[in-house]
Amino acid sequence: MEGYLGSYATLGLLLLAGVLFLAAAFGANRLLRPARPANPPGKTEAYECGLDPVGGDWAQAQIRYYVYAYLFVIFAVEAVFLFPWAVIYADPGFGIAAVVEMGIFVGVLALGILYAWRRRVLRWT
Amino acid sequence: MSVLLAQGVEVTAGEAWTFWLLAPIAVIGALGMVLARNAVHSALWLVLTMLALGVFYVVQSAPFLGLVQVVVYTGAIMMLFLFVLMLVGRDAADSLIETLRGQRAAAVLVGGGLAALLATGTYRWLEGTPAAGLAEANAEHGGNTEGLANLLFSRWVLGFELTGALLIVAALGALMLTHIVREPGERLSQPEQMRARFAPGNYPAPKPGPGVFATSSSNTTPAKLPDGTASPRSISPILPIRELTAAEAADKETER
Amino acid sequence: MTTDFQLPAIDYQAISPLLILFGVACLGVLVEAFVPRPARRRVQLGMALVGVLAALGAVVLLAGTNVVTAGGSVTVDGPALFMQGALLAFGVVALLLIGERRVEPGGAFVAQPAITVGSEADQRQASAPGATEVFPLAMFSLGGMALFIAASDLLTMFIALELLSLPLYLMCALARRHRLISQEAAVKYFLLGAYASGFFLFGVVLAYGYAGSVDLAAIHAAVDTSQMNPALLYAALALIVMGLLFKTAAAPFHVWAPDVYQGAPTPITAFMAACTKVAAFGALLRVTYVAFERLAWDWLPVIGVIAVLTMLVGAVLAVTQTDLKRLLAYSSIANAGFVLVGVLAVGRTGASSAMFYLVAYGFAVLGAFAVISLVRDREGETTHLSRWAGLGRRSPLVAGVFTVVMLALAGIPLTGGFTAKFAVFSAALEVGEGWLVIAGVVSSVIIAFPYLRVVVMMWLSEPSESTATMVAPGLLTGTALGIGALAVVGLGVVPGPVLDLAHDAALFLR
Repeated sequence: MEGYLGSYATLGLLLLAGVLFLAAAFGANRLLRPARPANPPGKTEAYECGLDPVGGDWAQAQIRYYVYAYLFVIFAVEAVFLFPWAVIYADPGFGIAAVVEMGIFVGVLALGILYAWRRRVLRWT
Repeated sequence: MSVLLAQGVEVTAGEAWTFWLLAPIAVIGALGMVLARNAVHSALWLVLTMLALGVFYVVQSAPFLGLVQVVVYTGAIMMLFLFVLMLVGRDAADSLIETLRGQRAAAVLVGGGLAALLATGTYRWLEGTPAAGLAEANAEHGGNTEGLANLLFSRWVLGFELTGALLIVAALGALMLTHIVREPGERLSQPEQMRARFAPGNYPAPKPGPGVFATSSSNTTPAKLPDGTASPRSISPILPIRELTAAEAADKETER
Repeated sequence: MTTDFQLPAIDYQAISPLLILFGVACLGVLVEAFVPRPARRRVQLGMALVGVLAALGAVVLLAGTNVVTAGGSVTVDGPALFMQGALLAFGVVALLLIGERRVEPGGAFVAQPAITVGSEADQRQASAPGATEVFPLAMFSLGGMALFIAASDLLTMFIALELLSLPLYLMCALARRHRLISQEAAVKYFLLGAYASGFFLFGVVLAYGYAGSVDLAAIHAAVDTSQMNPALLYAALALIVMGLLFKTAAAPFHVWAPDVYQGAPTPITAFMAACTKVAAFGALLRVTYVAFERLAWDWLPVIGVIAVLTMLVGAVLAVTQTDLKRLLAYSSIANAGFVLVGVLAVGRTGASSAMFYLVAYGFAVLGAFAVISLVRDREGETTHLSRWAGLGRRSPLVAGVFTVVMLALAGIPLTGGFTAKFAVFSAALEVGEGWLVIAGVVSSVIIAFPYLRVVVMMWLSEPSESTATMVAPGLLTGTALGIGALAVVGLGVVPGPVLDLAHDAALFLR
């Protein structure tokens, strides 16, 4: 349990324990519960509206959800660049230069959110 | 195991186990993605493959890359995929009619050939390559992420900034192609809507829903008025009125 | 933390054209966000034109510079500056076409591309002023192209490739008329372009595996010193060149071109035909001449076959076309083949002839698409050949310009096209690639036929009821037409200065 992979091994053991616990709980449930599926007449028939349901239950989503997802992706990518930046910007030689570099990057991305804001993309009406 | 057991770097048992456990899962995920009928299932198979790849990166001493794989690909990009699928509709199957004869067979043959060539090729060309290992490179800056950061913010600073430009172009495009801008005043206020509704010449009552008292619940089937005639008001003007076949107009056995 | 870190020295003057282009593009996004809609187009067009002209001025000021800067990402040398100059000159003309709003009420671009095609809202926006986002997109694309030509490592080249392609995919989808075809073109271009980028990236990976670096100069050095299996390098070369040939629309990677050229809004088609070609060949020249020069004997026959195929496919299929935009698409494929002949004459003469060809072709094709945007009926542009019959009698001036441009594309003496073809073929003969010249001459003869057929139809047929009308060009299109026609004739009558300039510039810095 040491070295580079050691900490991950601990994590793996924890995961394994979690999976085992879940499997044991559900297994016990299945073994202990009475196996008499209730199937009274009429249970699976159409209810209330009188029309038999036809086709799938999948509805198309509004396209505006996509825009939000996309804006999220942009900032996920930005966050990815922020991690390495955070570990080095205090190093000798970087300092203000690294701050300026990241400032430009974030500034350019901020243009995107400005544009979205001004086009009222962020307003939900 | 010759790829893993490259000379010079010892492969621990844990690493080998992880690889042999996850490699089949990654391949199965990839195959599942291609072969799944349902687009949503395809996307979920892809998640499996991407997660397995993320673990590989971590195991191969690239924790930052592993993290990126999970955060960006499995998190953000897969979410985007799923949103696209939700827009398209899960049931929208591709037309499988070949417009060019034999195209599919040719594509499978050529694509498979190229994949096989490149896969066996890279395997053979790289066989016996001494693995340099990351220890030296990591030690220079005190860690993997630090080393990456040093390169990213010095040698590759131009590329880094331009990635920002690339993202903004994509944002501009996504917003342009999906978002309809309504100028202030374009949307009628409630009193204006009411005035328009009760203005002379407009029929103020709600329109009958499509399919009401009709023989089909399709929204291209016009509603029937009490006198039995079809009401064209009940369907959208851009939809063609559907002529029902005898079979469609017949009793559906739902009237009991 | 063993070394005290130093940021790489960046020669800001050397990359000033790039900085201007990207700066103006970002400002353009800000304008979209904050300037009220009625004023936007004026502001955007003015800013974009000033930006491109300023970048052009910066390129001129840089003449003679030979420097690798920005941490080794950018090489500013003769070919880079020459082709950036050509690119920006084409950019000015293309921007004039993009900014035109007289010819079609509201311009060639749809107001809100998000509105469903054919819906009531779509009918309402039929003559609303077009989207102005196209200006920042074009600027980003131009910036990406300028970087693509000057990138001195494969990774920067890849980012530039994406940066030039992504706005192009978007702009293809913005046509005001025939929106479904336009969107289809965009999707096709996007999917195939993504594949091509994938090939390019895979090639970059293999090149890194071989050379341990993505620097073009380092790859050149590694060709002699690397201990790796050389097959890795050949695979890398093949995949990278495939990605680049896709952008140049060389056969067999050309199938996207006709559909995309036809579907895209005409100003964007002009932009793609002139500017993308320059950028793609700039990168192809740099990759083959700087990184893989020592393998020239290996890639010459392969790319030679591709060049012959490209010329013949483009020429033969151009003969069968009845739609002018498709005809010009196949002509652009054939012309890519002619430029490839220049590229294959490895050396200073070859590079300079290819660069000259790109200049001559770019101006001619910009002029051609400018005329196409003027010939219309109530449905928009009429690109079917039969509708052009007799146009010469109706509007002799514009038809005359189109004739000059067509003659230039056909390579008739006293036009830029002739000088360019002559330069390319003589460069190929000089290095003993006679077979390319034979194929080139044969396909020149074949492809002259469709060009001349259009000319004959325009002048010798009687105008009938189905003849389209020529809209009077506005100031912007008129200027674009004038520049195109003047350049085509100028390059034919006095090609000397540009030929000399190309020859002086044609030395790559490694």
